[in-house]
Formats: sequence, C-alpha cells, structure tokens
Amino acid sequence: MTEHILERTITLASKSGLHARPAAVFVKKAKTFHSQITLSKNDKTVNGTSILAVITLGAKQGEQVILKVNGEDAETAIDQLAALLEEDLG
Amino acid sequence: MKILQGIAAAPGLVISTAHTIHPLPEVDVTRQRTDGVQEETARLTQAIGLAISQMDKLYSAANETTADILAAQREMLDDPELKQGAEELIATGLAAEAAITQVTNSYAEQLASLPDPYLAARAADVHEAGRRIVAALRGISLEVRLDHATVLVAQDLSPAETVGLDTAYLQAIVTETGSATGHLAIVAQGLGIPAVVGVSTALAQIDEGTTLIVDGNHGTVTIAPDEASRAEAMAQLAAAQREKQDLEVYRDKPGLTADGHRIEVFANIGSLVEAHKAVEMGAEGVGLFRTELLATQGLPTEEAQFAIYQEVAAALQRPLIVRTFDIGGDKPVPGLDIPAEANPFLGWRGIRLGLDRPEEVFLPQVRAILRAATTHDLRIMLPMITAPQEVEAAQSLMEQALRDLEHEGQQARRVPIGIMVETPAAALTLDQFKGLIDFASIGTNDLTQYTYAVDRTNAHVRERAQPLGTAILRLIAQVCQIGMPVAVCGQLAGDVHAVPLLVGLGVRELSVAPARVPAVKHTLSTMTLAEMQEMAQQALS
Repeated sequence: MTEHILERTITLASKSGLHARPAAVFVKKAKTFHSQITLSKNDKTVNGTSILAVITLGAKQGEQVILKVNGEDAETAIDQLAALLEEDLG
Repeated sequence: MKILQGIAAAPGLVISTAHTIHPLPEVDVTRQRTDGVQEETARLTQAIGLAISQMDKLYSAANETTADILAAQREMLDDPELKQGAEELIATGLAAEAAITQVTNSYAEQLASLPDPYLAARAADVHEAGRRIVAALRGISLEVRLDHATVLVAQDLSPAETVGLDTAYLQAIVTETGSATGHLAIVAQGLGIPAVVGVSTALAQIDEGTTLIVDGNHGTVTIAPDEASRAEAMAQLAAAQREKQDLEVYRDKPGLTADGHRIEVFANIGSLVEAHKAVEMGAEGVGLFRTELLATQGLPTEEAQFAIYQEVAAALQRPLIVRTFDIGGDKPVPGLDIPAEANPFLGWRGIRLGLDRPEEVFLPQVRAILRAATTHDLRIMLPMITAPQEVEAAQSLMEQALRDLEHEGQQARRVPIGIMVETPAAALTLDQFKGLIDFASIGTNDLTQYTYAVDRTNAHVRERAQPLGTAILRLIAQVCQIGMPVAVCGQLAGDVHAVPLLVGLGVRELSVAPARVPAVKHTLSTMTLAEMQEMAQQALS
C-alpha cells in the first residue's frame, strides 16, 4: 500500500474559530480515518484527533491553518476535513 | 431522632427517604500504583471507556444548550493525547487516578492561560473530564439517577445538575451550602418541592436510605423521626393535601377579584421544565424568564438562544416576557470576563453590562428574541434600569438588530419593550419613561434591597429590610400612577398577605413562582377591589 501525504492550507470559516464546538466536530470526524492527521498554525503542529491539542492552537476565524494527512485514506480524509474547516460550525 | 436546622428555601413538607450524594474525595496526585504498569493502564482504559459511555447517555438526554458542552467534554474523555500523557505517568510509577488528574490539571492550566476568555473557560470542562474518569476508576457514579421517591441530600447542586433531575421522583432537596434566595431556592420553588439549604453537617449526619421529614416552611430536617413526629407530619400533609385540592379549582380560572376585576397571574421561570410547570399550574403567561440561568456554562450563542426561546414559547402558548441577561460580578459567567467588584450589586451588571458590551451580550440575545417572536408572543424586559437614556440605547440596538436581520434575509418581528423597576431611581422617575416603554414590572427583591440599603444575602442585616414597609409601598403606589399596566415579579407577588395590598395600590399583573399561581388566584377571589384599595390606603399612611 502506497502512502499518501497530502497537505492543504485552509482559512478558518467558523465564527468562533476552533472553539470547543467546532473542534469537537472536527476531531470526531478525524478519528473516523486511518490516516495520521495534524493541524498546524504558525510553527505549532498538533495531533488532529486530540480536542485538547486542537483547542490550544487558539485558531480564530479568518486565520490560516495547515491540514496534513498521511495514510491510505488520505484523499477522502483531506477533502472531508477541509470541508469542515471551511464551513461555519458555529 | 435528630433535628437539623437549616435555612427554609422552598416551602412544603415531605416524608421520604434520603439519597445522599457525596462529593468526590480529593485525589492525591502523587499516589504510587501498587499494581504493574499493564494492570494500571488497563484500569485507566476501562475507566475512560466507562466515562465515555456514561457521557453518551447524558448527551442523548440533553437539550440543545447543554448538548454542545457535553459533545466537547465527550471528545476530551476520548482524547488520545490525554490518555497517552496519563500512560506515560503510569509508567513512571503513578497510580491511574493520580496520572489522569495530573494530565487534566496540566491541560486545564494551558487552556486557562490562553488569551481568549471563552477558551480559558474550557479549563473547567477539562477538570470535569478528569473528575469523570476518576469517578469511573473508583467505581462511583456521578449521575444522579432517581428511581423512587427521594429526598436529595448533597453538598451543593449546580444549576445544570438541578435542571437534569427527574422531577417525577424528586420529593425534596437538602444541601449543606446555599441561601434562601440562591438559584436552588428559585428552582425548588418553581418545581413546588420543599428545600432546606445551609444544613452544614447534612452529609455527615444523614445516611443513605434514612427516613427524613423535610420541612421547607421552617427549615428543619428531622432524621429518623419517632412515631409522634411522623404522625404530626402526616396530619399536616393531609391538611395541605385538602388545601391543594381546593386550589385546583382556581387553576384553570383567570385571576379575578371577588367583584370580577381582572388581575393577570403570570409565572416566573428559568427553564423549559418550569415553563411546563407554569402551564400545569394555570399561569396566564410568563412575566419573568430569567435568562441568566441559561448562561451557567457561558453565554449561549444566538442560535442556541433562538432554539430555547422557541421551545419555551411553544410549550407556553401564551405571553412570554424575556428578561435580558441579568448578570454581573456576583454571578460570574464562564468566558465572560467581568472584573471582581467590591460592590457587585452596585456594579457593572444587568443592562449596564448589556449596553457596554452589545456584540457579546445584548445583540445576540435581542436577535434571538426578535427571531423567535415571528411565531410567538414574546416581549423584552430590561433589568437594572435607572434612566430613560438606557432604554433609548437599548431600543436603538433593537432597531439595529431588526435592520441587520432584514438585511440577512432572516424573519424577525418588533416586540413590546418594558423595564424592571428595581431601583428607586426608576421608581421615582417612571413618568419620564412614558412613550419609551410598553410595560413596567416591579422587582420587589432588588427594590427592597436598594431602598433599605440592605444586602439580602447578609445575615446580619437582612432582617432590617421590610418588603412591605412604607417606603416600598409608597414607591409601588407612585409607579402605579404611570397609566400603563404595572406588574410585580418579585417574591412579594406570591405572598398571599401582600397580594391584596399590591392590587389595592394599582398593580394589575402578579408574576410568581409557578407553584404559587393557584394560591394567588384564590387570594384574589376572596376580596373586592374596593376592599383591597382601602387596605392599601391604610398601609400607606
């Protein structure tokens, strides 16, 4: 099985940024994939399946985050997760 | 038999068995494990799994406002980094509960240090996640599940905890902390169950399953009553039952004096449960929806508020007066940074906070109300008003909200706007508000406190405040001169001795705890308006 490493820069759409609710929606989805998922802001990179790590990024609406996905289902994962970040989750 | 004295917080008498809820003992964060790494790690994994499945059950029973918080807490329990952090500490020799507590404490500290106050407030959620895992490790359930008629005995109950209780089995509440005017008193009064608070040794003295007589009229709790006490309580209960049946007669009748003058009897509520209770007790509307009780976990979003206002209004199918958030330094709201104040009752609270921080506090709430008003009879009431300028500022924000909503293509409707008269300043100058407001409602609790300069939570001075003193009666009489409907929504409105006086002074709407509605209608029906007016005149002089 070939490994896919995909990366995308996304502008956060949620009004409140990656607050508890949007972060909960994101990590819940992230956990459904086999791929390793990370989120980065500035120079900080965190585990995309950890709500605590994602919240401590402190990312706000309009800020850019880098979504990195590494694994066999990387293509589906990056599309679905990027769509979540580009949607206003409240 | 033993009698404990506490503070009477909600009236009524009950004989039932105790269900005690002990707070979790402190975790020793340096405790070493006695088992091997593998066994201890397995215990942790199992406890986390249990905590998650308990949370899933809670989530499915939650309403929209709490569901968001629970969803985040669930993901925290299921956080891979949290688990990994704890496993590393177990490997160094710590016991599972010490390890998980250290890790959650450290995440909570990180969150608390974030500049965004809303994120900082999530620290409490991480602590709660840790507490749930520790409880699971110890085999203790944090859920209060009542399956038979029960008196709940606890150190304290948070608003969220009281909202989730199964009212079918809950007979009475006894707590070690709390005051006669605290949130627990308000909730218990609304549900019509007795409550005795401030019984400082309750958990030490009351064993699980013991029979108790809880007397919410006198603030006493009798442990394992003898035959004589039991018989006396039974006789009192039978008398109260007869009285209750008499009151049932008034439940579905409008409020009328003996000679047929219409006095509306509304209810004060703080939740959807209380809205149902208000309907059940025959309230003709809601005169005070205390929305700050929705903000115990942080200010709810516009969408969450829109949902709850619609839900409550749909349950009522009658007028709903929504008081905008009455929050301040003495009622901290997670995520809303309000500096500590030396005099919170005279501080940055109520409408002052709402107008000074419109984007965070006032506008989302007003927008939610205006949107819900398209399908229901909603009205807005502003707390802590002292001058007409405050109403003008609130109205211009309401107009802005209407314009914005129209611009966004959202359905909304302009609603009547009224004020709480709870400062002497508003009571003495109410004529200057004419043309600006559609109604006025006297908040007697705060009006009494501000008139007599008595902090009602201070046991040394609270007896000096006179809720029916000449100063208050004269203020109420003056307010009633305004020539528009005047309501009273303080505790005084539910006091059957005060009802004839208030109506005699000119009050035309009484808003009371749901359980008090039938008694107030009964009292109204026993006197003519002229008799009440005469009584009021005598009291004024």
